[in-house]
Amino acid sequence: MVVGGGIAGMQSALDLANSGYYVYLLERSGAIGGAMAQLDKTFPTNDCSM
Amino acid sequence: MSYEPKIIAFCCNWCSYAAADLAGISRMEYPSNIRIIRVMCSGMVHPETVVEAFNLGADGIMVLG
Amino acid sequence: MTLSEVTGVSGSEGNFIVSVKEHPRYVDMTKCIACGECAAKCPKKVDDDYNASTKKRKAIFVKYSQAVPLKYQIDADQCIYLQKPGKCGFCAKVCPAGAINFEDTEKNHEINVGSIILAPGFQAFDPKDAGIWGYGTLPNVITSMQLERYCSATGPTEGHLIRPSDGKSARKIAFLQCVGSRDENKCGNGYCSSVCCMYAIKEAVIAKDHVPGLQTTIFFMDMRTHGKDFDRYYQRAKSESGVRFMRCRVHGVEPHGTDGDLRLHYINEEGRQVEEYYDMVVLSVGLQTPKPVVRLAKNLGIQLTSGNFAATSNFMPVLTSKPGIFTCGAFAGPKDIPQSVIEGSAAAAGAGNLLATSRHTLTRDKIFPTERDISCEEPKIGVFVCHCGSNIAGVVDVSSVADYAATLPGVAHVERNLFTCSQDTQDLMVNLIKEKGLNRVVVAACTPRTHEPLFRETLKAAGINEYLFEMANIRNQNSWVHAKEPAKATAKAKDLIRMAVAKVSPQFALHQLSVPVTRAALVVGGGLAGMTAALNLADQGFPVHLVEKSAQLGGFARMLDHTWKGDEIKPQLANMTARIENHYNITLHLQSEIKEVEGYVGNFRTTVQNKAGDKTVIEHGAGIIATGGKRFRPLKEYGYGEIKGVYTGIEFDTLRKAGDINVKEGKTFVFIQCVGSRQKDRPYCSKVCCTHSVQSAIRLKKEDATRKVYILYRDMRTYGERELLYKEARQLGVIFINYELHGKPLVKHDMAGIQVEVWDHVLHRPLFISADVVILAEAILANQDGKKIAQLFKIPVDSDGFFQEAHAKLRPVDFVTDGLFVAGLAHYPKPVEESIAQAMAASARAATLLSKESITLEAIKATVVEDNCDGCALCLDVCPFSAISLMEYKDNEGKISRRIEINKAQCKGCGLCQGTCPKRGVFVAGFSLDQINKQVAAALAV
Repeated sequence: MVVGGGIAGMQSALDLANSGYYVYLLERSGAIGGAMAQLDKTFPTNDCSM
Repeated sequence: MSYEPKIIAFCCNWCSYAAADLAGISRMEYPSNIRIIRVMCSGMVHPETVVEAFNLGADGIMVLG
Repeated sequence: MTLSEVTGVSGSEGNFIVSVKEHPRYVDMTKCIACGECAAKCPKKVDDDYNASTKKRKAIFVKYSQAVPLKYQIDADQCIYLQKPGKCGFCAKVCPAGAINFEDTEKNHEINVGSIILAPGFQAFDPKDAGIWGYGTLPNVITSMQLERYCSATGPTEGHLIRPSDGKSARKIAFLQCVGSRDENKCGNGYCSSVCCMYAIKEAVIAKDHVPGLQTTIFFMDMRTHGKDFDRYYQRAKSESGVRFMRCRVHGVEPHGTDGDLRLHYINEEGRQVEEYYDMVVLSVGLQTPKPVVRLAKNLGIQLTSGNFAATSNFMPVLTSKPGIFTCGAFAGPKDIPQSVIEGSAAAAGAGNLLATSRHTLTRDKIFPTERDISCEEPKIGVFVCHCGSNIAGVVDVSSVADYAATLPGVAHVERNLFTCSQDTQDLMVNLIKEKGLNRVVVAACTPRTHEPLFRETLKAAGINEYLFEMANIRNQNSWVHAKEPAKATAKAKDLIRMAVAKVSPQFALHQLSVPVTRAALVVGGGLAGMTAALNLADQGFPVHLVEKSAQLGGFARMLDHTWKGDEIKPQLANMTARIENHYNITLHLQSEIKEVEGYVGNFRTTVQNKAGDKTVIEHGAGIIATGGKRFRPLKEYGYGEIKGVYTGIEFDTLRKAGDINVKEGKTFVFIQCVGSRQKDRPYCSKVCCTHSVQSAIRLKKEDATRKVYILYRDMRTYGERELLYKEARQLGVIFINYELHGKPLVKHDMAGIQVEVWDHVLHRPLFISADVVILAEAILANQDGKKIAQLFKIPVDSDGFFQEAHAKLRPVDFVTDGLFVAGLAHYPKPVEESIAQAMAASARAATLLSKESITLEAIKATVVEDNCDGCALCLDVCPFSAISLMEYKDNEGKISRRIEINKAQCKGCGLCQGTCPKRGVFVAGFSLDQINKQVAAALAV
């Protein structure tokens, strides 16, 4: 079980699911994404965070 | 009848096509003259396609990626 | 599971029972189509947390427009109906899908799991509580998160950077660093939040892009840009973007006049009092663990640090104090995105290791009927036109669109559906495909980006190839953007369907490639990172070949004593070495080098040569590059190698440990930081040296408090909770003196001993220190072998010689080439725990491949048209994935011709080759030139 659906939790959940485990991903709010989803752009490429 | 240009837009699946979807989600408005063609990368669009589109009567072409 | 939180955990490693409380959403996720009608009608406006309260949202809302799941939810505390049943309820009335369910209730689940990963994240420090910077009372004082939202196209101003007080375009912005960090008086957070320096620079640069002529100043104590390429960005912000940097702490923000302008008062580096005026002040707020998370941790019995982060060991950076419970991200100490992603994978490796025996026991594969061969059939296309409730049908005249579709060539059947994506429509679609013998399908609805996978599954279930499918985007790119022009939207919908039909007609069946995987790994480099990765993969049950150039394992770490948390490194290395030597899954190749590499993801063949010249070919599915780094030897700098008593940091450790008399009896010690780092020829920060020197200084002071210890530094980069060490050193009386790159200290030798001269900014005069020992904090360099390894594996290195990851933020351990991963100093200088985390992450990433017997690859790939390709090889240069090679062929008459060959495993289907080829010699299946041209022709046909 991964508690928290931010960037770290999502990565954990994906890697585990992709290597043959059943994963429960828990998120307190209504959608995953966490703090990164709030950012406008990210260093260094100024890519959109989405 | 007023002039209505025909515009073809080649949009990359990973960025500009997604952006066009987002424009919809955000209910932005733009003129309806544009026809979007989804490509896997804007680099996929061949110059020949662009010339062909002009030949067939396109008034403007956008390659977005 | 959204809206869910853990309320309790019982059991232990391998067998936990987690109690989960799932809060009601009041919206049926299976019905909600995220059309937004409900929010449009909802009368209740509340502050939007997602937008850091810069904007309002409704009581029924979707967190953000790209949210996953894209489903609305009701904020029960704010909803009028839920607070006073009988009132309002507009959303339920307007919802076209009948998704509103006011009767929804809280659900409690008991879930049995083997391992738990805690990634609860952080919350930004709320400066309102401190009440010092005017936040909350002065409208033009905002937090950095609020600035992010103002700059964002989905923010309150659609990306226009304006002052909250009067909507005036901002002209002058000040950023105040360390708000809620490195400050025990006002906020109680003694640690450094690690990320704020970098995000402030980014925001200052981006803000300047938004407003031409904008002036930005960052007020900071130490600029902590210690990550990969961060220092370059810092320098560019100064030199190219013109961001002004001011080293000082501003203690207050006051209103100036009544227009909302702000006055800052500070003392500059020369000790002068300065007053400046700004339009806006941005508080670079720190990261802290949310209170409910602290409660949960206590409830679970997980140890926390003094800063309320999960306590971890440097050797097991993602394991909490409780076995079986891992952690990653900001809860394991404040950190940035790449490090969070690395830890995310590392925690997966930890949990994967623990649960290796139960791999594949709970997952299952879907089974589909055999595919019908349609290659000899004429196109029989089924067109499904979606109403999407009123989202499409409210604008587009769907019945006339459907009638029109029926007239298109090849169309055999047209159907209209209220919701084409609903399960009953899928069943209907399957039946129709079977009944009417349809062999291609067009769905005119929303976007393929979200819904193509669903419909492809439906085609598979109906027994036809999943690629015989096309979507016409008549919602996101039509009805939603032309809501006021129904006639034009209807005409456009017809065009889009005509285009989709034109494209799908020549489409033929495509099959995803299945490539078998050699379920073994190669780890290059037997340092700490390589050893960690090898052990983790071996423990997970995969055979590992560990190749080390030297005669000994341990690499750079052999030169180190302690981690920053004080864990001893040498016993750990000895322990790991013993485990590797005895591990049944690890083949150790000492004194061996990589000679040749061929193959691709899942199927590499690497030739290794040992000292005796014997070659071994290793077959492996994944490879981890952990070739390490080396230390800089600052010959002729600061008298190194010339003056006795001048040592590098690592040499000093050895001397001290050996009880060297000069060190033992030394009274005055001077550390000089950034020796070889952060200068023209090496414009990066070596990340570990500040903490290392501070630790050494503390030890010297603790041994003998009368010693004088100086640290000459440019920026003290004791990031995260290392800041506490910096504080301890100051309390012990270590003297820190700042110098700038243009005024490096001078080290001389005379009769009296070593003299160190450094400019004192506070006293405005040079300071002379007679030192017994001078310690140079040397840089960490990339290994020269890196370039050779890079050529062999065809992976890139950056201009500093470190390996270049696939994406700085989101793929920090992957290479662009699938199946290869990077860890440790080979990637960038980093401390022990970060090397270990990255090595574990690399092994988790490798395990995603090695756990499979075969991998399926997307079928949209380039294909060579043998008759057209004449081997001009123009496409070789443009292919970003090195998937194309030029081959020579001999025909029956013995004539030699050249032609390209595509490695389907490496091809990603981007089609740059197709766009470049002058002879139609290559095409991407599903997006061929012919198909695109037909789409264009169809678009322009009417």
